[in-house]
Amino acid sequence: MSLDVQARQTDAGVTVLAPSGRLDVAGAPSLKDAVTEAVKNGPPRVVIDLEGVSFVDSTGLGSVIAALKMVRSSKGDLRLAAPNQQVRVVLELTTLDRVFPYFATVEEALTDF
Amino acid sequence: MDLLRERTGRGADDRNLILFETALAEIGSNVLIYTGKHGANGQPVEYELRLDAGTATASFTDQGPPLHNQLTRAMPAPTSEAGRGLAIARKVLDELGYKRDGEVNYWRLVKRL
Repeated sequence: MSLDVQARQTDAGVTVLAPSGRLDVAGAPSLKDAVTEAVKNGPPRVVIDLEGVSFVDSTGLGSVIAALKMVRSSKGDLRLAAPNQQVRVVLELTTLDRVFPYFATVEEALTDF
Repeated sequence: MDLLRERTGRGADDRNLILFETALAEIGSNVLIYTGKHGANGQPVEYELRLDAGTATASFTDQGPPLHNQLTRAMPAPTSEAGRGLAIARKVLDELGYKRDGEVNYWRLVKRL
């Protein structure tokens, strides 16, 4: 099953990507495509709203790391918001919580971004 | 996993169940991907899940290619986009067993809940 990713732009020019479903081997390509689209128009600031992500696996994590690299190589930045307990546990297990400081809500992620 | 939650009476945020589900997804998707990729003569993957006295045990039997040394692979660097699956499973389970017997792979995942 593929992942549905909604994209929106805030008034401040930040792209908010909201995937919904499982961010796993089947869903990871959809997130990658959405980030590729977001970096097309200049230095991107991207928030990935994880509220709708029910589960992440190592392939899904890989797509988030790929997203971070893509965004940073375009001189932009990326933040994660609203991960559920399983996503937080996986970030912590893999020590990726040190690479991705995550925010409890999208609003918090957008503050001073 | 829904059945495990129901039988144990634990909620969606139970850490041990989250860890078990995460490991199960990693090993399960590896088994399905590699068995499918290499044809495996159309042989089915067998999967069993047991709950005994507070311990969850899952087993997979497949005829995919053998695993070579990946079981002991360390968690890759935070910037790596791949290679975390088995390291995550090993880290979160009480036991991760693998053996190759003839043309068959046997996996055993054990987590005390």
